[in-house]
Formats: sequence, structure tokens, C-alpha cells
Amino acid sequence: MTNSVHDMGGMHGFGALTHYDNEPVFESDWQRKTFGLMMASLGPFQVNLDNVRSRMESISPTTYLSVGYYDKWFLTLEDLAIEKGLVSREDLAALAAGKDISLTRDVDPIPADGMLAFLATGATAARPIDTPARFAVGDQVRAKTLNPSGHTRLPRYARGKVGTVIADLGGQIYPDSNATFSGEGPERAFTVKFKATELWGSEANAKDTVCIDLWDPYLEPAT
Amino acid sequence: MPHDSHDHTDPPSDLTLRVKALETALTRKGYVDPAAVDAVVDTFETKVGPRNGAAVVAKAWTDPDFKQRLLDDASAACAELGFSGQQGEQLKAVENTDDVHNIVVCTLCSCYPWPVLGLPPSWYKSHAYRSRAVIEPRAVLEEFGVSIPEDKEVRVWDSTAELRYLVLPERPDGTDDLSEDALAELVTRDSMIGTGVAKK
Repeated sequence: MTNSVHDMGGMHGFGALTHYDNEPVFESDWQRKTFGLMMASLGPFQVNLDNVRSRMESISPTTYLSVGYYDKWFLTLEDLAIEKGLVSREDLAALAAGKDISLTRDVDPIPADGMLAFLATGATAARPIDTPARFAVGDQVRAKTLNPSGHTRLPRYARGKVGTVIADLGGQIYPDSNATFSGEGPERAFTVKFKATELWGSEANAKDTVCIDLWDPYLEPAT
Repeated sequence: MPHDSHDHTDPPSDLTLRVKALETALTRKGYVDPAAVDAVVDTFETKVGPRNGAAVVAKAWTDPDFKQRLLDDASAACAELGFSGQQGEQLKAVENTDDVHNIVVCTLCSCYPWPVLGLPPSWYKSHAYRSRAVIEPRAVLEEFGVSIPEDKEVRVWDSTAELRYLVLPERPDGTDDLSEDALAELVTRDSMIGTGVAKK
């Protein structure tokens, strides 16, 4: 989903920041479990990060804005389990009500040491790419005006705006195609620096800038 | 509710029951090993956190060669100290100077450099921070008690791709005699996101 409320850069109305000292990593046990369950089941579900982000963005805007961070993780994971046919919504409701439901084992989980190795090793999104860079550091580029119906990492506030390439990040998995399992389709990504006045108008501080990492298909030469 | 004030005599909330139900289903279907879930949680509650990043910053303050390696290739430099893995595969360190103050956000979700800072605090994930950091970073910084002169650039990094950012804060004056460990104590989590500065 592209033009939804997850794309928050530049929105107004969410109020002041609330900052807490000595905040715990998780506020409650269900948050703790939700985080652990999501990380542990990504592999068995055969989903990638872009797909999970896309699912989270597809939570209805009213729900997205009214629930907390780990609530979104939970709703996404619950929908994933139902969509993949692991368990029905009715069975989950029955389990939550304390009834016992017979569920047969489909796969073998990743054991604890495997999970720790997964966390420690990571999985880079960098990919080799043969196509020469269309842009060089110092080039002026315009973020295209695009409104795809699927997942994208081109924020709305940058669309149509002109900035300067400050880094070539090489080939990177292209989220727009990876999110739908249409292939990693690596594209070159660039860090583009935009003046705050270009993004927000003359009221912004003329010194200030915003740097955004953008894939080649999001960009065109600024002439 | 940022703090866990859960009273154990309260009846479980709807979400508590739903998470438990999902945990049961995922476990019985073989999708998760409860021990693996615990291992993941334990990693981020007790092993990985902003003290990692503070060690990186303190080393950069005291070792010019390391600082250069950090600015050239932060993933490799952090890995020298044993900090690497999920959400830190591609790291970039951005240095605060007399001319530039850096601040990091993820407007689209809540991307964050896990191996060096752990999991993000609630304010970093808040709608207020995600929406405001790019359009009014100075107002956001003021709410964190950080005032940046009008003629100094505030440079916001929106983590839209898989590159994760770590701010290298300025070393406080008068700390020449401090050891690397003592310096690390001055490095706050917020100073490495850019919403704070190092303690004096």
C-alpha cells in the first residue's frame, strides 16, 4: 500500500513528543511475545521484510492510527497465520477463550541456537549490480511523482522534489517488487539530499536538509 | 502507557489472550520453538542495546584511525567491536560537527540500527516523531532540550532503505583526561539518534 497513513513524513496533528527515562525494552509480556514470535516465524512463513512492511501498511488507516507499535506487529502476524492457513480466526478465538484445539505440526521450527545465529548474521539487502550508475555524486535528481498501488519506499513528501545525490549505495533489493515476491529485482540506490526549503517551502530554515535513500526507479534527472 | 504498570491481579486484556492463542497455534504447528522466542527476547532485553553504540562512539573519540574506519564503513568498524547482525547489515555513521547536527528518523515505519542501539524507544516509533522530524526537526529537538543555532545545518536522515544510521555526537569539552570507558558513560542513546547530545 502506498498512499496510506504509514507514510507520515510532514503530517501535522500528532502532538508533542513524549520522552521517558529508563523506559523498558518491552512494556508488557504480550509485546515481548509478539516481537519474539514475529522474529522466530519469519523463516517458516517464508516472508521477507518488505512483504511484512507491506502487510503492516495495509492495516486500515483508522486502526493503524489508533493502536500501538507492537499491536501492529501482532495484527500482522495474526493475519499472516490465518492467511497461510495455519489456523482459522475461529480457532484462535476458541484458543483465546481457553478451549483446546487440535493442531497438527506442519514444519520443524528454528531452534534457539539457529535464531541466535540468524540475529547475529543478519541478511544484507545489498546485491551485486552490473548496470552502470545513472547518477553520480553531485548530480541533481528529481524524485518522480509516482502513486503505485503496491508497496514503495518513496515517501510522499519527496515526490516531485529536486535534490542532490550524495552517495551511491550500490545494488539493493528493490522493495517494490520484493514485497510481492516478484523477485528481488536489485536496483541501485542513492542517498539524495534535499533542502528543507525545497520540501517544505520558504518558511523552512534555509540551512536545513533531509537525506533520503531512494532507488534508481524513483528518480529522474533534474533538468 | 510507556511503563509497565501491569498489575498481576488484573484480568488479562484481550490482546494478552490473543497473543497467547497465536503463540499456542504457532508452537503446535511447528512454526516457532518457545525457547527460540525466549532467546530472541533475551537478546534484545539483556545483550543488545545502546551501550554497544556508546562503546563505538567512545572508541571513535579516542582512536582517530577507528573513527576514520567508522566514517568510511560503519558496519565493518562496528563489527570490529562485535556489533553486527539483523538491522545492522549496512550501517552509516554520520558525524556531528560545528556546522552540522544530524538527526535520524524512519518516517515510513521505525527502522533503527539494532546491533548498536537495540530496539527503538517508544518516542522513536511514535506518530509524532515520524511525522514531525522531517518537517520541523528544530521544534522536535527543542522538545528534547536541544537548541541548534539558526545558522547551523540540521540534517535529517530518513531511513527509507536498508541503510541504518548512527549519529557520532560531538565529544564534550573538558574530557581529555577520561578513559574510553568513562567516555562511553557520557554517550546517551538519544545522542546517537541525534535528539540529544553527549553528557558533560
